[in-house]
Amino acid sequence: MGSDRLTRRECLARGAGAVLAAGLAGAGGYWLRERSTDAHDAARGQPPSLVLRDYFAPVTPPPDAPRISVAIADGGQFEALVRAAVGGLDRELGMRRFVGAGDVVLIKPNVGFDRPPAMGATTHPELVRWVVRLCRAAGAREVLIADHPIESPEACFARSGIARVAGEEGARIVLAASRHFTRVSARWGSGQRVLEDWPVFVEPLRRATKLIGIAPVKDHNLSRASITLKNWYGLLGGRRNQLHQAIHEVISDLAVLFSPTLVIADGTRVMLANGPTGGRSTDVRPGGMLGRPVVVAATDPVACDAWCYENLLGRDPAELTYLGLARRKVAAAAATGRCGFGESDWRVYDRRRLIVTTNV
Amino acid sequence: MVRFRDSWRNLLRITSVRIIVQTVMFGLFVTLAVLNTFAALDRLPGLRLWLSKFLEVDPLIAVATALATRRVYPALLWSLVILIPTLFLGRFFCNWICPYGALHQFVGWLFGRSPRGRTDSGVPVAIERNRYRRWQRVKYGILIALLVAAACGSVQVGLLDPLCLLHRSVTTAVAPAVNMSVPGWWGAPRLYAGAWLIGGVLLGLVVANVWYPRFFCRVLCPLGALLGLLSRFAWWRIERDAERCSGCDRCRLHCEGACDPHARLRQAECFVCFNCIEECPEGGLRFAFFPSRAHAIPGPDLSRRQLIFAGLTGLLFYPLARTTGRATRDFSSTVIRPPGAREELEFLERCVKCGQCMKVCPTNVLQPAWFESGLEGLWTPVLNFRIGHCQLHCTACGQVCPTGAIQPLPVDRKLGLGQYADLGPLRLGTAHIDVNRCLPHSAGIPCQVCEEVCPTSPKAIQVGRRQRRRRGRGGGAGEQDDGPPVPVVDITRCIGCGLCEKECPVVGDRRGVYVTAEGESRSQHHPDRDRNRSVRLPGASSASD
Repeated sequence: MGSDRLTRRECLARGAGAVLAAGLAGAGGYWLRERSTDAHDAARGQPPSLVLRDYFAPVTPPPDAPRISVAIADGGQFEALVRAAVGGLDRELGMRRFVGAGDVVLIKPNVGFDRPPAMGATTHPELVRWVVRLCRAAGAREVLIADHPIESPEACFARSGIARVAGEEGARIVLAASRHFTRVSARWGSGQRVLEDWPVFVEPLRRATKLIGIAPVKDHNLSRASITLKNWYGLLGGRRNQLHQAIHEVISDLAVLFSPTLVIADGTRVMLANGPTGGRSTDVRPGGMLGRPVVVAATDPVACDAWCYENLLGRDPAELTYLGLARRKVAAAAATGRCGFGESDWRVYDRRRLIVTTNV
Repeated sequence: MVRFRDSWRNLLRITSVRIIVQTVMFGLFVTLAVLNTFAALDRLPGLRLWLSKFLEVDPLIAVATALATRRVYPALLWSLVILIPTLFLGRFFCNWICPYGALHQFVGWLFGRSPRGRTDSGVPVAIERNRYRRWQRVKYGILIALLVAAACGSVQVGLLDPLCLLHRSVTTAVAPAVNMSVPGWWGAPRLYAGAWLIGGVLLGLVVANVWYPRFFCRVLCPLGALLGLLSRFAWWRIERDAERCSGCDRCRLHCEGACDPHARLRQAECFVCFNCIEECPEGGLRFAFFPSRAHAIPGPDLSRRQLIFAGLTGLLFYPLARTTGRATRDFSSTVIRPPGAREELEFLERCVKCGQCMKVCPTNVLQPAWFESGLEGLWTPVLNFRIGHCQLHCTACGQVCPTGAIQPLPVDRKLGLGQYADLGPLRLGTAHIDVNRCLPHSAGIPCQVCEEVCPTSPKAIQVGRRQRRRRGRGGGAGEQDDGPPVPVVDITRCIGCGLCEKECPVVGDRRGVYVTAEGESRSQHHPDRDRNRSVRLPGASSASD
């Protein structure tokens, strides 16, 4: 056999190869072994789902200034309406109170349906334009626009006119991809939550330092109204058609899930009937029951919705179940330091003169 | 006397020892297959540790599910019992342990043609057919493709893994067939959807031995391929003493692996059957410790190009199978999985289609799926409520599942009792009444079988007076009907066990009451997955308005 003989080197290499492979298999198997055979236990051990940032907290007014919670502007063109509404929240600083140099602002319009602006189903693009401009003027580094509609997002953004405005104003539209969703929890205070561990379009929220919701004021077949609180629904993922089974619980959960810098209600065209899709010009009236175009800016979305429901849709807020639930949940969350925007009852604000109205 | 001494010596030959071991292993396999019933498991709960042992020691199952889940299911750590010795001894599993290999060898020995004559080059055909053939590389391609698909998240090793294939075939085809010829010998009479194909595959592969000895083991077996790759570093293997070899080729006469011991040994093909050593008239072959490399080809006969081709096949399988959407958005709600089954995509990362759950199921409700859950779901377990129902206090399927595709849950967990009260009962789906077929609803014939058998407490199906639907005739809306009481499902209580569907006297293929997968617990905590079109929103029941 002679030269065929295995050399010492080969012998050692092969011996070591087998031992190493055996060791690797054993150690790898042990290291990767599952600790529990019940997936539920494994899920229990996982870190709790994400808590969204409180975008309201950093915006604190000077201590002596009145904390205007709801500012209403009526009767003018878009620029004047937006300036007056935002200016109403802080006469001196205007948008600069909410947005500072270097901020990344996320604007959440309601682009829920493939409808032209005149139908009132979506946020008016001119409103978006002027909010973007105010943010830029206040020093915002970047403005993002995001929504996750049921219909094709590209078509909705295009038809609503917001895609064009975003292009002209240099704001970036973030369209949702499945990897952009993360499970989020609304667990603040006590009480029942439906939105526990629910996937949310977190990608733009992660990047933003300020959050502004701009929502049309609409009739809604199930929840009665879709204003600034229902607007956040557009950032939810998952099988959100299931959420309609508990719509008021869900909308009131949204009031604590999202703690925005400010919200703007678009009452330039109010959908009084056949909501939330509408589809006929007779469903829509400028300013709703008020009869003239209105824009409402508010730091307190719950009070904003109540005011719009009563004055623009002309109905009794006491019948709007989600408002009562939201008021309770916001109070519970405020006790834990979140959503510290106030009373949530616009009549209380009104008595304290924390609501201003500007006629443009 | 002499004769007796000879036979005694024969018994001590290593090939005789091997045959005894093989027989014992095959007997053990059959014993475990016979014992794998609900009754046996109920009598001897400790059996659950043993019933799937042949699957748990299978390194291919362990490797494939580990690639898919990035975890090793605890029971599959048993595969080290085969994997580590293979690193030192080579593919001993194939001719010592594998019951499927033993079956092939036995059938080939018993029914194999003993070809006469010689080939053109003068070698007897009986010897020539055990020469290494390039076909044998196919199994490495199969292995690579299966492992790549597994790494993507679709475990398909069960289609060809010998132990999965044998378990599945014995459960769904052999045992029911034996039962038909000798009623009652092998459990209760059973029905299995598509058993003809599963049994046909087994039959075809076994009969192939008549013409091509150990066709499956040599050409197709992905487990053999994996073990062949692992035997690369083996410390012991066959070595031929070239000086003693007269070139008679007798070593190939009974060579099981077709590994060419007469020339350069193909180490990855050798089954360690020792037949060549026994057969050599010159004593020129031995099982050597650290033999020279010069006489062996350690790795498989697979070029890099073929390797990449196999890998790409596996890589393409995944998108082709998933794009059809049967596992996701276009899922079929008739695909109802066993209690404790993981969420569908996680289930597909684990299920190896071995059929153990179907064998142990006391009601025969578990059936091998056809393509209703997609290409990937072929032969995975689904519930068919025309055949059986899910028994309330039974979790046997999860106890025998070798990979945790069905989790081994305690009965209290299934029913949501005791420490699991906050989780509530496991729901397999939801029952629906078809008012066009249900007898009291559609024909006014009294019947409340579904309510009677509904096992939950309080009952999920209750009968009540029907409200009159039509206005006008007789009374106004809301007035009670004078027909028989009609059943109504309370979806907050229904667990989807299917007993109502099984017992419904409307016997068509859609009964008066039927269960769909909607509301299944396993999808409940995956709001982002498509199968969760729950009719039951967690927490919604107590919501206002």
